[in-house]
Amino acid sequence: MAELLRLEGIVTYYGPIRILKGIELRVDEGEVVALLGGNAAGKSTTMKTILGLITPAEGRVIFAGEDVTRAQPAARIALGLAPVPEARRLFPSMSVYDNLMMGAYVRRRKAGEEIRQDLKRVIALFPRVGERLNQNAGTLSGGEQQMVAVGRALMARPRLILMDEPSMGLAPILVDRIYEIVRQIKSLGTSMLIVEQNAVMALSVADRAYVLQNGSLVIHGAGRELLESEGIRKAYLGGAG
Amino acid sequence: MLSENWAQQIVNVATIGGMYTLVAVGFTIFFGVLGLINFAHGEVFMLGAFAALVVARTLDFTSTAGGVAMIAAMFVFATLFCGVVGAAIERVAFKPVRRAPMLVMLITSLGVSFILREAVREFFPDGANPLAFPSPFQSAEIRLRGVVISDTQILLIAASVLIVIGLYYLVERTWIGRSMRAIAEDRDAARMMGVDVDRVILAAFFIGSALGGVAGVMNGLYYLSIRFDMGWVMAIKGFTAAVIGGLGNIYGAAAGGYLLALLEVLIVALVPEGSEYKDVLVFLVLILMLVFRPSGIFRQAPQKVG
Repeated sequence: MAELLRLEGIVTYYGPIRILKGIELRVDEGEVVALLGGNAAGKSTTMKTILGLITPAEGRVIFAGEDVTRAQPAARIALGLAPVPEARRLFPSMSVYDNLMMGAYVRRRKAGEEIRQDLKRVIALFPRVGERLNQNAGTLSGGEQQMVAVGRALMARPRLILMDEPSMGLAPILVDRIYEIVRQIKSLGTSMLIVEQNAVMALSVADRAYVLQNGSLVIHGAGRELLESEGIRKAYLGGAG
Repeated sequence: MLSENWAQQIVNVATIGGMYTLVAVGFTIFFGVLGLINFAHGEVFMLGAFAALVVARTLDFTSTAGGVAMIAAMFVFATLFCGVVGAAIERVAFKPVRRAPMLVMLITSLGVSFILREAVREFFPDGANPLAFPSPFQSAEIRLRGVVISDTQILLIAASVLIVIGLYYLVERTWIGRSMRAIAEDRDAARMMGVDVDRVILAAFFIGSALGGVAGVMNGLYYLSIRFDMGWVMAIKGFTAAVIGGLGNIYGAAAGGYLLALLEVLIVALVPEGSEYKDVLVFLVLILMLVFRPSGIFRQAPQKVG
């Protein structure tokens, strides 16, 4: 499979504190990769580095064959990167429609027709979201908001979706629904990098997984292997899920 | 019963309210994108009036057609001039302190306000005195069942209503409006969507300041006299109107502008010697709003999603 994203020796600081200590990670075309780890392991920092919200002190970020280490988020999104941020980060007083359109922001100068087609596709995937287009995003339930967040990412026509804790704060039944959606997106051929504390859920869909601990990747393997390895489960994945 | 006198007052409210609204919209836009109360905005309003005065003195407008062209030239030049000044203020004064505590930006805006006001007083010819504002209008009056509307008022009312409608379109239907709203709600999330936050903030300052400039020209045409310190009172009024509508809420600011004008006209009409007190009333309203309804009359506490 063709390589889509590669992190090479990423080191980042928060003030004097070294957060990431030389991360090596890759995601291939069409692949779903999970990035697991406990609190403060560096998962969110990794995501922010990939998206371009943080510039690493050392190392390189290669996306879609281009070195984007110093590129602005807009340039990376234009290359096919789209975030589903932690806590969703919708625009609560804006309509669901406007929230979805914000996902297509970097393509705003392209044909409006193309964007309308994408909107139709997202609505077909999430009919519930389609019924609420004129409602303010803040009035939606948590599950509906998560669907809007995923829909917004799809509006970017992404090659790789960065999902940051998609199950956080959702009832178990909604977590199941979200992962159903993740499988659906996977079947469409879009790659995903999923950061999760809910390891069992993420591993059930991931092709491969990395485990992050104190800013270093400690384990890397196929999703199913990690799920079945009792020792790893106890040591790193906790009781979550 | 709506007597002729009251109908007349409504015309006055629509005229003055339009100006307040245009200034208030700027305050609310700046607050939305930067969380800033920009006290220099009153001076941008003042500069709009002075820019139009320069145009009027430069061009000749003896004929009727010349008069229309003159009005157009005054508005266009003042609008662009103030837009550029506002954008420059953002770049030079606010951007460097954007990450500093809010108070720093507030004081910066007061500093810019002083600089602009004193610069006009010092360097504009005879700038320390009230200057006559030449109006191309002949002060033609239209009488409708005893209600008197001057041609100036018709233009001002129509222009402010059209601008508010245009603003609605800009904010709701365009990418720049959408990205401004996104930044106002969650600047980092907007960045994650690929919004160039610096550019959108600059555009917001251009738009808000340009509207302030329009209001400045209107003020000159209506009162036929302008002064270097006219921005101060207007800043308080525009800010009060924005607070009435809820800072950050553009439609609230539009409503707040007309409401404040209504209050002023009411006190002048109902209270003996009321015109002496109308500016006091504005301060009173501002204080009461800030104490009892700081998020405006339309909204409860803003909703946040986790």
